[in-house]
Amino acid sequence: MKDIIKPAAVLAAVTFCASLLLATVFAVTKERIAFLDSEAEKNALAIVLPGYSITGTAKTKDNKIYWVGEKTENGETINGFAFISESPGYSGTIRCMIGVDSNMNILGISILKQTETPGLGARSVEIASKNTFWDVITGSAVDEGIQFPWFQQQFAGLNGNKTVQVVKNGDWTPEMASDLVSQNAVSAITGATITSKAVVDCIHKGISEYNDIIKNSNK
Amino acid sequence: MSIKKEFLKGLVEKNPVMVLGIGLCPALAVTTSVSNALWMMIATTFVLTCSNVLVSLVKDYIPSHIRIPVFITIIAAFVTVVEITLKAYQPEVYTSLGIFIPLIVVNCIILGRAEEFASRNGVFISIIDALGMGIGFGLTLTILAFFRETLGANKLFGYTLIPGFKPAGMMAIAPGAFITLGLMLWAMNRIMVSRKHKK
Repeated sequence: MKDIIKPAAVLAAVTFCASLLLATVFAVTKERIAFLDSEAEKNALAIVLPGYSITGTAKTKDNKIYWVGEKTENGETINGFAFISESPGYSGTIRCMIGVDSNMNILGISILKQTETPGLGARSVEIASKNTFWDVITGSAVDEGIQFPWFQQQFAGLNGNKTVQVVKNGDWTPEMASDLVSQNAVSAITGATITSKAVVDCIHKGISEYNDIIKNSNK
Repeated sequence: MSIKKEFLKGLVEKNPVMVLGIGLCPALAVTTSVSNALWMMIATTFVLTCSNVLVSLVKDYIPSHIRIPVFITIIAAFVTVVEITLKAYQPEVYTSLGIFIPLIVVNCIILGRAEEFASRNGVFISIIDALGMGIGFGLTLTILAFFRETLGANKLFGYTLIPGFKPAGMMAIAPGAFITLGLMLWAMNRIMVSRKHKK
């Protein structure tokens, strides 16, 4: 009998102390984590609906949340919509937020979550700084202001009604931009075609899912 | 039992990755950048030190046949503390290390030190052991990450080294990690052998 009670009591005491510790840490950090989550959402919305003010959220039939924004241009109020879509990438799910106007032109995208290979697919969220390591340690680095990952930047201005093409041009440069927009295409990340296509799939999926809702809300 | 000896054994003679061959999963997975490796060192050393302290404090009260579940509970609690704290105060590190933060629980180094060292020794010397092992593990990761980041991404701490130079992408993925680790083992054994000969 003693062989049962003592180990059980010890285990109970240890797990009780562990739970107490975790509950304390959770209580201390809870507000900060909630704050960071809402900041991340706000930042993503600012990227995918640039210049729009968010007027509210709505829910689809499947209980998925999407955001509605509006801005005034030439005296007219125009609506923008932002929604979240997911699709499988090279390793794990890629979650994107996509912003469109009521004609389904893509205003911007933001990759919220990805677990792609560092140095290859993970470059989809990489910001290409022109400063080199030597600039930084010698103090001659230039402040480049707020920048966006080049891969995601390419999507702004594409037509969501048509298929977005993926072309292998090597890494994106600003000179390619007009050519790519006319082809309704994006340039894939070198060595990460699967990731690039997965992001495009994610966007197609999201647009087809929300197409009807957004078109109907115009009437 | 000298403090210096207990500390240094983790760095060289019983280096967890290079000599004991444990903790290889995080060593290969998070070493794509030097900053990841350094954060992994901090997280692992913290968990290792806390668990060693607690294990050496409670070792006399734990019936020996339930010691493993007790050790794992202690380790898992500290790992979760690290995970929540990073999420709240270093969200970028948290996303970049991802699943490898919760996976510190199953890092053999930590349970190994609890079982082999802390459950048989006093508190103070267990701290020294944990620091030596944690830093030995972390330094190996940092050296590995240095080669992989410079050669595989042409970067250091996220900044480009040579503009316009095309890096060897293979170094950024798993095969590159194995090759680099293999070369590091060769170099280390080479040095150890020639040292022994001199003596």
